[in-house]
Amino acid sequence: MTLVPTLTTLDALKAGQSATVIHLAPHALGGQDVARRLMELGFVPGERIRMLKRGLPGGPVAVKVGESTFALRKFEAALVSIQPE
Amino acid sequence: MGVMEQQVAARSPLIALLGNPNCGKTALFNRLTGARQKVANYAGVTIERKEGSFTSPAGRALRVLDLPGAYSLSAQTPDEAITRDVVAGLRAGEAAPDAVVCVVNATNLRLNLRLVLEIQRLGLPMLLALNMVDVAKKRGIEIDTAKLAQELGMPVVETVAIQTGGEQALLDALDRMALAPATPNSLDSIDAVPVEQTQREVRRILAACTSHAHDTGNLSEQIDHVVLHPVIGPVVLAALMFVIFQAVFSWAEAPMDFITGSVESIGAWIGGAMPEGPLRSLIVDGIIAGVGGVLVFLPQILILFFFILILEDCGYLPRAAFLLDRMMGGVGLSGRAFIPLLSSFACAIPGVMAARTIQNPRDRLVTIMIAPLMTCSARLPVYALIIAAFIPAREIGMFNLQGLVLFALYALGIVSAMGVAWYMKRRSGGGQHPLLLELPAYHWPHLQTLALGLWERAKIFLTRVGTLILTLMVLLWFLSSFPGAPEGATQPPIYYSVAGMLGRALAVIFEPIGFGWQICIALVPGMAAREVAVGALGTVYALSGSGDEVANTLGPLIAGSWSLATALSLLAWYVYAPQCIATLSVVRRETGSAKYAWMMAGYMFALAYTASFITYRVALYLGAG
Repeated sequence: MTLVPTLTTLDALKAGQSATVIHLAPHALGGQDVARRLMELGFVPGERIRMLKRGLPGGPVAVKVGESTFALRKFEAALVSIQPE
Repeated sequence: MGVMEQQVAARSPLIALLGNPNCGKTALFNRLTGARQKVANYAGVTIERKEGSFTSPAGRALRVLDLPGAYSLSAQTPDEAITRDVVAGLRAGEAAPDAVVCVVNATNLRLNLRLVLEIQRLGLPMLLALNMVDVAKKRGIEIDTAKLAQELGMPVVETVAIQTGGEQALLDALDRMALAPATPNSLDSIDAVPVEQTQREVRRILAACTSHAHDTGNLSEQIDHVVLHPVIGPVVLAALMFVIFQAVFSWAEAPMDFITGSVESIGAWIGGAMPEGPLRSLIVDGIIAGVGGVLVFLPQILILFFFILILEDCGYLPRAAFLLDRMMGGVGLSGRAFIPLLSSFACAIPGVMAARTIQNPRDRLVTIMIAPLMTCSARLPVYALIIAAFIPAREIGMFNLQGLVLFALYALGIVSAMGVAWYMKRRSGGGQHPLLLELPAYHWPHLQTLALGLWERAKIFLTRVGTLILTLMVLLWFLSSFPGAPEGATQPPIYYSVAGMLGRALAVIFEPIGFGWQICIALVPGMAAREVAVGALGTVYALSGSGDEVANTLGPLIAGSWSLATALSLLAWYVYAPQCIATLSVVRRETGSAKYAWMMAGYMFALAYTASFITYRVALYLGAG
């Protein structure tokens, strides 16, 4: 029997770990639709991502999606529900 | 054919370059146009509009517009809104392009193709430039361009923007295209399709047209393991900053001496060739000395931008923003504010302009407001004069006391800036803003981009010197020259001028912080450019000669006539020094409102006065009167 990893959010992913995007929580901020922007950058459900580097605690994280790397603040990363591998 | 159509037909066709940030679009634009570029702003906003022209191999004259980089046409940032509106023909004063060249980064089609599919829905004539194919091939990414062209239904060409001749395929393809004014579809056609569906289409096309042999070690990732490391990263950043500052001050010395020398000899030459009189004084003391005093900062600005452009081009700057985001986020700034604030150490003007790269309007405003608190190089002559005159060159441990004081002044500026940013964050009560910063793959800086970038900076600075600063210098000359001294005057002529009267009136306000009328008079012309205050002090103390000579003789003179408390108070004043008209006018232009310029002048004046008052009173109490 294999253990099914539980869903979590991107900000909790360990450095070097990969995951699949499951869902983006809607989040509007000052007229900017953060969830939509994240999708436009490639954080689309079904895409594989990898935590490249975590900075200082509480600081931004660097995430690899496709061939690009994006720096996200913690609260942005928390919008992305993922299935870790 | 109506008159309108005839006019449109008479213009050469307009091609828009459009693509994601970091796809090499600007390098391709530079490759196509060389130096035949016009850089201006889009009407009403501070976003750069870059247009150029070139002639195709078939002899067709073409105009090309380098649109701001965009991830999507749903336009989440002001830059993207411009790109969307121009390409959709919705921006007033801008004609819709006759054709769109979509530039994509061949190593990152998964991200780039989504934008291509969005633009395609506008129904304009399109061409895909598969840029950076050389890097893609090296990385083992095979792209079937014929298949891709078939899937997308548009011509696909391979380009290498950083190589001479790397644009040839694009030129040939453009010549094969019929270019006639086209009407784009409505923007609604883009939002009609959800992002997920577009991404599914991208995946399908990628599966059909590309094969990715196993990526053999990604160098960028390996560099990032060091550069983004929580401990090593900041050490590397600090070391880089140290080298840059060293270079800005040591490399610039020779060219600055050269400019000062040339300005002085031109002044002397004209002075000798003209009869004594107000006109000679205006040209020599007002225009040449005044403009020369600002021009002297060109070498420092260029050296600083040399490093900034290299770090930007090779991809390091976003990493610096990543490293600093935690710290700067604490006071409500974005990591992106790092670049404008760094520029402000040379001069607040390019710093304020560089704040354009910050997308969030509030973050951008805070960055602009604190930029002048970074110690600009114009404050250095004043610091140097006072420190040399009042602070003994004593060794304290391994440090020199004078150096420590200078360092403390820089640090005080930075700490105050953080305090102001924190206060503004508290006041606006805004929550967290998204960072969403791409960390592009590293690559070697590109010489042509660097040269054009530096040329652009020099042009902007020289234009300002030639217009606004020149005007201010002439105005200040009038203020400090008229009315002239009466018969049998006992004071230097400036004492009796409008500037002198102003200075003496100001002395009432500045007496509590230890400034006599001499200092107050010097503060008036210091409004044009801070360092002019040194020359003005020279005038007040009726010294003849200029530049270094004044500074050398002025030191002992003020050491004899000011108290230490006054000197320290003036140093504290210059940490905040609100009196830079050039900066205030740029702030007004960049924020589009005089309100913020007044706010800046107001808060900096309040800080300067408070800091000087405390410094002066404490120094008096400690017996430095």
